[in-house]
Amino acid sequence: MSRSIDLEADIAEILLTEEQIQAKVAELGARISADYAGRELTLVSVLKGSLPFMADLMRQLTIPVRIDLMEVSSYGGSATESSGLVRILKDLSSSIEGRDVLIVEDIIDTGLTLNYLIRYLRGKNPRSLRICTLLDKPARRLVDIPVDYVGFTIPDQFVVGYGLDYGELYRNLRFVGVLRPEVYAELA
Amino acid sequence: MTERDPRRSTLPGEPPAPASETSTLVGESGGPTDGGRPEAAKRDGRPRFAHASEAELARILDYYAVRWEYEPHVFPILWNLDGAVVESFSPDFYLPDFDLYLELTTLRQRLVRKKNRKLRRLRELYPDVRIKLFYARDFRALMLKYGRLAVADELSGALGQVVPERAATEAPTAEGPAAEPSDRAPSEASAVVPRRQGRRRAAVVAANEP
Repeated sequence: MSRSIDLEADIAEILLTEEQIQAKVAELGARISADYAGRELTLVSVLKGSLPFMADLMRQLTIPVRIDLMEVSSYGGSATESSGLVRILKDLSSSIEGRDVLIVEDIIDTGLTLNYLIRYLRGKNPRSLRICTLLDKPARRLVDIPVDYVGFTIPDQFVVGYGLDYGELYRNLRFVGVLRPEVYAELA
Repeated sequence: MTERDPRRSTLPGEPPAPASETSTLVGESGGPTDGGRPEAAKRDGRPRFAHASEAELARILDYYAVRWEYEPHVFPILWNLDGAVVESFSPDFYLPDFDLYLELTTLRQRLVRKKNRKLRRLRELYPDVRIKLFYARDFRALMLKYGRLAVADELSGALGQVVPERAATEAPTAEGPAAEPSDRAPSEASAVVPRRQGRRRAAVVAANEP
C-alpha cells in the first residue's frame, strides 16, 4: 500500500473513549458474573474484531471461564467470497456440549454473521447460548436477533478502533471512532 | 423494488411473464396467502431481479444461509369505488425464518418519497406485516462493510437498473430510465379509496399526496 496512514488523523470523531469503554466492560463483567454465579462459562470470541473486547471482558469476570475462538469468512472478503457460502475459517477447539456459552462480539449490525453462528453453535448442543456485544448498531439490522448483553448502542456511522477495522487497519486504536469518509474513497 | 399494477400481468414494456412469475395477491383477510402460489420465475435457478442491488442482496443472504423469497406477495393498497384493486405493493424480499419483508430502494430521492408513501399505506393497512426499507445509503453502508464500496455505485440507482428487454428500445420517461414503470399514482379521474378508510378521509389523503 503506497498511502501513508496516520491512524488517528483518519478519525473524524471519537465516539467512545478508552475510559468509557473500560467502564462499560467492567459493568458488563459484573452483570455477567452475577448472572452466571456458581457456574462455569465458555466465552466464544468471534475473530478478529472482538479480540480486545474479549481480552478485557474476561478479566472482569469473577466466575470460572474457558475461552475459545472462532473465525468465519465474510462476504466480499476476497474476490471469491461474493459467491458461495460462509465458511468456518477457525472452528472451536473444544466441545461446548452441555456448557454455558456466551458469544462475544465486537459489533452487531446486519446480524447476518451472528445469525449463522448461533445456528451453528446451537447444533453443538450447549446448555445455554447467549450473546454479548460491545456495540450494537440496530439501524443496520437485517435479521432480528435477541442480544443479551449490549455495551453501547451506537448511531449509524462506520466506526473503527478497539478491534474494529477498515481494510484490516485501525484495530489497534484504544478508542472507537468514526472514520473520515474520505478514507473510504482512498482505500476502496 | 417493483410495485406492480395488479391489473396487469407484467410491468409495462416487459415481456409477458411466465405463469410461474406471478406473485400471490394478498387475500381479503389481509394476510399474505401462499395457497396455490407458483414458484417465482427463475432464470438459471435465480429469479429475474429488477435491479442489480437486489441481486447483490440475494447473494449476501445466500452467503449467510438466510432463506429468502423474491416478491412472493402482493399487497393491495388502493381500491376504486367498485372494490377493484388499483394499486398494490410487492416488497422485494420475504425472509420466512424471520417473517420479515425487505424493500430495497437505491433510486433517487424523489422516487423514494413515492415508495415511502406506499410503505406508509401498507403499514396502515397491514399493521402486522413486518417490513424494513433499505435505502441507498443503507446499501452503500452494506457495501462498505463488505469491502465492496468500489462497486456500490454500479449496483445502485439508475446504473443498477435492469432495463426490461422491450423497454430498452422505448424512449426514457421524464424521470429517466430509473423510473419504476408501475410506480405511479392513480389518475385523478379514478376514484381511489383505501379499503379500510372512510371515503372522505381517503379523498383528503389522495388530494394531498404528491
